[in-house]
Amino acid sequence: MKFTIQKDLLLESIQHVMKAISSRVTIPILTGIKIEATNEGIKLTGSDSDISIESFIPTEENGIIHVENIQPGSIVVQSKYFPDIIRKLPLKTVEINTTDEFKVNIISGGSEFHLNGQDPNEYPQLPTLYTENSFTLTNTVLKELIKQTVYAVSTVETRPILTGVNMTLKEERLNFVATDSHRLASRHLPINLADNQLNFNSVVIPGKSLVELNKIIDENDETTSISVTENQILFQTKNLYFLSRLLDGNYPETSRLIPDQSKTTILTKTKELLNAIDRASLLARENKNNVVKLETKSDNRLEISGHTPEVGQVIEEVNSESVEGEDLKISFSAKYMLDALKIIESDNVKIEFTGAMRPFIIKPENDEDILQLILPVRTF
Amino acid sequence: MLKWYPKNGRIIFHLDMNSFYASVEAAYNPELKGKPLAIAGNPEERRGIIVTSSYEARAKGVRTTMPLWQAKKLCPELIVLPPNFDRYRQASSEIFKIMAEITPIVQPVSIDEGYLDITECYDLGPPWEIAERLQQRIKNELDLPCSIGIAPNKFLAKMASDMKKPMGITILRKRDLPEKLWPLDIEEMYGVGQKTAEKLHKLDVYKIGDLVEADQFQLKRILGVNGERLQQRAKGIDTSPVDPDAIYDFKSIGNSETLREDTTDDTTIAKLLRRLSQKVAIRLARKEVVAETLQIMIRYYNRKTITRSITKDEYLAQEDEIFAVASELFDTNWNGEPIRLLGVTAQNLVEKEQAIEQLNLFNYQEHLQDEAIQNVIDELSTKYGKNPFKKIKDQVNNDTPTTSFQKDFLDDFKQ
Repeated sequence: MKFTIQKDLLLESIQHVMKAISSRVTIPILTGIKIEATNEGIKLTGSDSDISIESFIPTEENGIIHVENIQPGSIVVQSKYFPDIIRKLPLKTVEINTTDEFKVNIISGGSEFHLNGQDPNEYPQLPTLYTENSFTLTNTVLKELIKQTVYAVSTVETRPILTGVNMTLKEERLNFVATDSHRLASRHLPINLADNQLNFNSVVIPGKSLVELNKIIDENDETTSISVTENQILFQTKNLYFLSRLLDGNYPETSRLIPDQSKTTILTKTKELLNAIDRASLLARENKNNVVKLETKSDNRLEISGHTPEVGQVIEEVNSESVEGEDLKISFSAKYMLDALKIIESDNVKIEFTGAMRPFIIKPENDEDILQLILPVRTF
Repeated sequence: MLKWYPKNGRIIFHLDMNSFYASVEAAYNPELKGKPLAIAGNPEERRGIIVTSSYEARAKGVRTTMPLWQAKKLCPELIVLPPNFDRYRQASSEIFKIMAEITPIVQPVSIDEGYLDITECYDLGPPWEIAERLQQRIKNELDLPCSIGIAPNKFLAKMASDMKKPMGITILRKRDLPEKLWPLDIEEMYGVGQKTAEKLHKLDVYKIGDLVEADQFQLKRILGVNGERLQQRAKGIDTSPVDPDAIYDFKSIGNSETLREDTTDDTTIAKLLRRLSQKVAIRLARKEVVAETLQIMIRYYNRKTITRSITKDEYLAQEDEIFAVASELFDTNWNGEPIRLLGVTAQNLVEKEQAIEQLNLFNYQEHLQDEAIQNVIDELSTKYGKNPFKKIKDQVNNDTPTTSFQKDFLDDFKQ
């Protein structure tokens, strides 16, 4: 194998596949990066057997040559050293070639590295997905869906299924739901299925996979094709192939747990509320769960307070647009509230409460597709 | 009066009730006075040991922790009563109230002893007069005897109160040490148990005076920091303050119980765990705290003892919750061998006021029942000015015999 490649492109691809590589894998060769050269281009592969990522650098794109002097072949290089070596090379191009004994030579200007590689035939074959179950989303929308839900997945393994985002397809709507059982985030997306033959209705994608995917795909109008099989999901863009295992098990039914009527409804400026809670939480950080209290006052005023006995207390007043319904006193985690408000892009946020011991709902004004829910804390 | 009080330094009382449980029983039933009396757990069971006895019984050789049958052998006319903890608690609470009238600096140590710092009490007269009045008041109002030690620090006060019983008042000054303290056997020194005494014997320390002379480095080598502290005390130095809040620095609340016989029987074990959980729950409620962590102790037939604990996301307070967690811990850690003793301890306690529990999407509806009840209570409380309801669970009889001392009730005297 031999080729000469633009250093920046190679580095970008390396960074993509590194997202799938873990030092704690059961198959040692998976700590390496597989490099394959063909006359069409260079393909890099990284995998921890839960996530597998392939990144492709075409020989030529829009008349610009990326790769030259290709002699087809393949090798596995150690991911511990390879990325740093490439990053620090002196020139803009790098030549990579291999010997018969799986030695890799990396040459750029006056710099020459000779690395021990591994036999590419020992690298596990990635499963290829043959499925009719696919649909496309623009990258911008896909990133939005991920950003609006994945923050709410559980980070502890006590209920493994909750570490994933539940993707369902129902009545021409694509739904993403995530919950760690203390808060929940959901996003709906109308989807036109007229020319698609989708037949999955509920899968659970590991939150970690979506976080990594979100880092790799750029925010643009290009599309990602999403294919689903029984136990894997594939996200495919022009030069990227992102395969993730799905989580086993049934995702809990959450829709019936979401209150459908409210007793107190608040409409208020998103930024103002966010800043007030952020400040109130400064003095609530010491207490467990970072709890702040919200109380409705007359004239559409809200009072937000935080308090730690040894430290002191803070009272924030927010003039909201409107407060309808019963008076309310409720305590909740400032962190959960901030996470939720950060997702809201509209100027005004609507919060619907049904009582101090029940979950409350946070929505952008005039948008029924985003819903976030937070469980309050109970005081003894 | 100031001349009786030191310019620097302090005056500390240690008040020690004389054979407290037996004296309380005699105060309730004067016919018992002057008779050999012992308080013991259930006479039929293994835990039927002497908890305390009157001086008349002690004269016959009856000792605390002696099995009942042995005591009866030594003193056939011995009157044995089961413990009546409500009475002792009530009496104790009265005693501490009387102490608190002298100074707010009262540190309860157990149900029947406490320290007072009377350094600032020169308005009340010389120290021994204060002590005499205190002793007389407890005698007149409660019909209970006590001994009081007066000294410049807690350790010496404690040693002093032990020197004359019953109804003694002993003053122990620093200049008295060579005569009154140092000739005592090392075993009589407060803070020296059997194990420590054995270690000290190896350094040829048999009297408290020997400890004063002992080599500092050797002491530190065999007893660590404690060796140093004991030597300081033997020299009459103890800087620890009388801390009224010391008793509130509780880190855990636990109960344990020895089984009648070693067992592997699931039902017996479950019953005991349930009983211990209930006791712990009652004590948590009394203290108005909730726990983050639960620990169980299993002692096997061969005295091998293990403790295992688990910290939960949700606070533990209710008997059912504690029992569930205790059972879970037990099931995962029991090796199947016969068990002699079980213990359940709630740890990492948090005051209810500061305890908050993040509700869970999948079970918040279970809490809603509480919410409905709470709303009604709030409403009626507003109407009638006071919570007209009492939780039935609070009325559970907690007067079961136990030899472990629980200090929770001492909160009362402060209020």
